[in-house]
Amino acid sequence: MTLEEAKRYVLRRARELGLEAEVLFQEERELSLRARNGALEEIKEARQGGLGLRVVAEGRVGYAYTEELSPAALDWALAEARENALLSGKMGSLPEGQPLGAHDLLGEGLSAPLEAKKAAALALEAGLREDPRTRAVMMATYTEREVRVSLASTRGAEGAFRTGLTALGGSLVMGEGGSLKQGWDFLPAKEFHTLEPGRTALELREKTARLLGAKPLRTGRYRAYLEPRAMASLLMVFAQALSGKNAMEGKSRLLGRLGEQVASRLITLIDDPTLERGLLSRPFDAEGTPARPTLVIEEGVFRTFLHNTESARALGQANTGHAFRRYQGTLDVAPSNLYLRPVGNLRLEEGVLLTEFMGLHAGANPVSLDFSLQALGLWVAEGKVQYAVENFAVSGNLLDLLQAVEAVGDDLTWHLMPAAAIGSPTVAVAELSFAGA
Amino acid sequence: MLQAELVEAVLRRALEGGADFAEVYAERSKRRRMKVRQGRLEEAVSGLDYGAGIRLFFGLEVVYAYTNDLTREGLLEALETLLRAKGALGRVDERGRGGLDFRKRLPQGLHTPKVPLEGKDKRFRLERLLEAEAGARLAPEIKEVEASLMEWTQEVLVANTEGTWAEEERVRTRLYVLAVAQDGAEVQTGYAAPGKSVGLELFDLYPPAEVGAKAARQALTNLRAKPAPAGTFPVVVGNAFGGVIFHEALGHLLETTSVAKKASVLADRLGEEVASPAVTYVDDGTLPHAWGSSEIDDEGRPTERTVLIEKGVLKAYMVDRLGHLLTGYPMTGSGRRQDYTYAPTSRMRNTFIAPGDLEVEDLFAGIEFGLYAKEMGGGQVKPGSGEYNFAVQEGYIIRKGRLEEPVRGAMLVGKGPDTLRKVVAVAKDWENAPGMCGSLSGAVPVEVGQPHVLVSEIVVGGRA
Repeated sequence: MTLEEAKRYVLRRARELGLEAEVLFQEERELSLRARNGALEEIKEARQGGLGLRVVAEGRVGYAYTEELSPAALDWALAEARENALLSGKMGSLPEGQPLGAHDLLGEGLSAPLEAKKAAALALEAGLREDPRTRAVMMATYTEREVRVSLASTRGAEGAFRTGLTALGGSLVMGEGGSLKQGWDFLPAKEFHTLEPGRTALELREKTARLLGAKPLRTGRYRAYLEPRAMASLLMVFAQALSGKNAMEGKSRLLGRLGEQVASRLITLIDDPTLERGLLSRPFDAEGTPARPTLVIEEGVFRTFLHNTESARALGQANTGHAFRRYQGTLDVAPSNLYLRPVGNLRLEEGVLLTEFMGLHAGANPVSLDFSLQALGLWVAEGKVQYAVENFAVSGNLLDLLQAVEAVGDDLTWHLMPAAAIGSPTVAVAELSFAGA
Repeated sequence: MLQAELVEAVLRRALEGGADFAEVYAERSKRRRMKVRQGRLEEAVSGLDYGAGIRLFFGLEVVYAYTNDLTREGLLEALETLLRAKGALGRVDERGRGGLDFRKRLPQGLHTPKVPLEGKDKRFRLERLLEAEAGARLAPEIKEVEASLMEWTQEVLVANTEGTWAEEERVRTRLYVLAVAQDGAEVQTGYAAPGKSVGLELFDLYPPAEVGAKAARQALTNLRAKPAPAGTFPVVVGNAFGGVIFHEALGHLLETTSVAKKASVLADRLGEEVASPAVTYVDDGTLPHAWGSSEIDDEGRPTERTVLIEKGVLKAYMVDRLGHLLTGYPMTGSGRRQDYTYAPTSRMRNTFIAPGDLEVEDLFAGIEFGLYAKEMGGGQVKPGSGEYNFAVQEGYIIRKGRLEEPVRGAMLVGKGPDTLRKVVAVAKDWENAPGMCGSLSGAVPVEVGQPHVLVSEIVVGGRA
């Protein structure tokens, strides 16, 4: 069955069974080219798609999905979704839908001959080896992804869009004397012609090499400068506390704090799914709410959680249109393009410049917002970087950290995280706790 | 799942296109997840994953395609796209002419469930989850409890141009309880998540109420815990999931994925003493019903027990097919992948430190001031530099050999090879625990394990 046939089949069967149903279809095409020692070591070409179902039976919600689009598989999914709904203890409904149109957010972004894409991967790999200190190139990859999303419901939602991105990713080990450091980067873009493999390789080498010859850091409390990647990874954790769904389930420390000063006045946090060329821009969310920008934290004051229809209703707030769902999952909330607004009052003085945090899935608790993380960094004194430091961990609580922000740079940089694009400039934090030698 | 004749046609076409080796991996997975909260089913999702991956080797170059379209047209189109990408289209190689003689390997049922998933209805599962939630309601400070059940039946078929034809049905079940404790503005969490390659007998092996209580006790302990001290101390790491430190700091460095590229600090060191003589480290894919066990790996080879380090001396790496081609080390049945969307790479299965002969108390005896990392969270490693970190989920201070107050927020950081030499004592209480391990070929179920071990010093990240 084609997608269109499957969609019509499911909606028709749902109506016959007296169910409200929503069909979310996602299809992804991926090409990845991995270079090694001047040749392509792996070529991957893939298509994956599936149909996610949300049904309402007797006022309750159930979910199912299938990647197999045969009538038997679709019937199985409908029956499972219905059974899951009937067992559910929670009332729910599908939002009233509307025609959402068909949108193309990718255009000709990926249009280029395969040979040019192969050349990009090879140029990145060659560029990474172009330094006597490079000990091994672990990965040099060109990746592109084209995504088609289509949504339809028995309540009138009907829309589709096409999006995607292109990216260079690299990872290498550099060494000098007995010191070894592994660096990585993943640079996404909306258009192939904007990728610059030579420059990406050079920057990754520089970013990695500056960490060589690191000295131990004495345990203590220091001012911290968080580079965009380090800050973005913390914001990804913080985004969990911004989720209306987590708040509704008692898993956000921001619950009950609307209108309060939860961060320094320098912090303005915005989520904007309508950003032109935004990495994860989209015309509507996973349940068909049209996209618009949301001011989440305004000069330190907490304005709203990110919501889908269910969490907005539960907390009595306006829906922000942040329903998130992969066809395999259940309805959730996630940011799209979430960013910290640049200010431009940051100057390095003395402290630790943190370039990257590691082990976020284990070292940062999205409920308590406590973190204790291994980090890589550089010692800064007299306004400039002095030497690299290593073998230390940084700890604290994200809410305390946001309150202690004393400067925000103007170097807004975007990073693609598992479910969101996060943008941040460099940020200075008055004091953080460092555990080292 | 697929007819032998169709698989043969795909493999022969790949050889015609000039591939030295071709493999078809097909999968149909049925998954169900139920989550209980506040005494009721919060959400439930069921799903069917269905797809195939085609992998071709041209010398040491690998091309991989996957698709959800498992018809003849779908598979052949995926293959032609690959040949086109490789620039091999239009070639006709003699080797495609001969027939393929599959040696079919039948599953032996080593990990077959005792209580099959289809043997009980969803209400039975719901009742067990409600027991788990009720078990976690130990104190008024427990504000939130989530109890989830994940079950997964994975049918796989692996066939290749060497005549391998292997099929297996893998059943895995896991119970997950998260407890949130709150006192004023202070919020802390605890969790417990037993899982095995079993069916619904999981609930007999791990009574749900006890699992809930374990999660809640951890949350309550963390609620009264003080921030962990910062500095370098001796650390006693608890058994079972405590093994995650060596999974991160040692196991990943022994996968040919990094060894073959000389991107592991332990590459080219077979026969050398890389750890303290107290350490024997084993990766065993055959442990009956273990979370990371299977009869065959995802390249269709029987899994095996691989002794990686024996009394401190490096004996073997974990080797998949590509790793074997790159290094010459024998394959160890370690080729694994999350699902059909990933080409396999060398991965851990159930990896643990073998038991020593000390009592647990002996490990604490000589410690003036240190940390007891009773339960570990997850962690991460950079194989190229050996730098690792992992979080302590439940920790206590050790003073003059005695266990004292609980501390929270501790993060252990270091470099794997240094830490290995600092394992000074190993107890006899070996246990394993399940986890999901993420790497190049996706997230795969693994067990980590060890007895209690004493590390003479580790940097502990806490509040300075």
